[in-house]
Amino acid sequence: MKNTIRVERAIKNITQAELAELIGVSRQTINTIESNRYVPSTVLALKMARVFNKPVEEIFMLEEAD
Amino acid sequence: MTFVKFVLHLVNQTLQIMKTRFLFPYWCRYLGYALVLAHIPVMLLRKMIGFDIPGNRIDNGLLSPHHLFFMTTTLLMAVGLFLAAFSKEKIEDEQISQLRLDSLQWAIYVNYILLIVSLILTSDTEHILFLNLLIPLVFFIIRFQWKIFQNNRLLKRDGDLR
Repeated sequence: MKNTIRVERAIKNITQAELAELIGVSRQTINTIESNRYVPSTVLALKMARVFNKPVEEIFMLEEAD
Repeated sequence: MTFVKFVLHLVNQTLQIMKTRFLFPYWCRYLGYALVLAHIPVMLLRKMIGFDIPGNRIDNGLLSPHHLFFMTTTLLMAVGLFLAAFSKEKIEDEQISQLRLDSLQWAIYVNYILLIVSLILTSDTEHILFLNLLIPLVFFIIRFQWKIFQNNRLLKRDGDLR
């Protein structure tokens, strides 16, 4: 699974720390999700989508290997 | 009556604590490490002086001084490790609980592999028991903290600190 969080953050102009605070996780968690080392739960994915005001599919998408 | 109320209050509080994922508060980690550290000099002292005076038959009965001492020092260490292992992180989120579960699985694997190997190779049950007391918690703590350390390092490397 890949994601566009980094891009979305740049559009919204918020840091990892700010995003982390908005959805109530640690900065480490945001960082590991962005670098594809951790797959967030559905709840967390939905929370992120709400922050960026976009559907989840536009932030997280499946890859060939999934 | 007040005593009953007090006990009920304690039970209620314990249940409240257990509801938050069976973890101790953050400061319990330091209490845990302190207990483990405190146990080391006591243990060494025992090893140096020892209750086993040559010539005397070793009294291994239940609640003999030997047994009591062993019990208290071992308890000190076990409780310390327990607190250190199962206290909350500063920020508890789903990734941390995932890491915790992964580390627990590893710890159990390692423990049972070592248990099986030691059962085959030795018949020293007291030491096998002792190892079994230590390995799951120690391995769990090391693996869990190592993963957290790695995440912190990666955050420093490519996290943005704008």
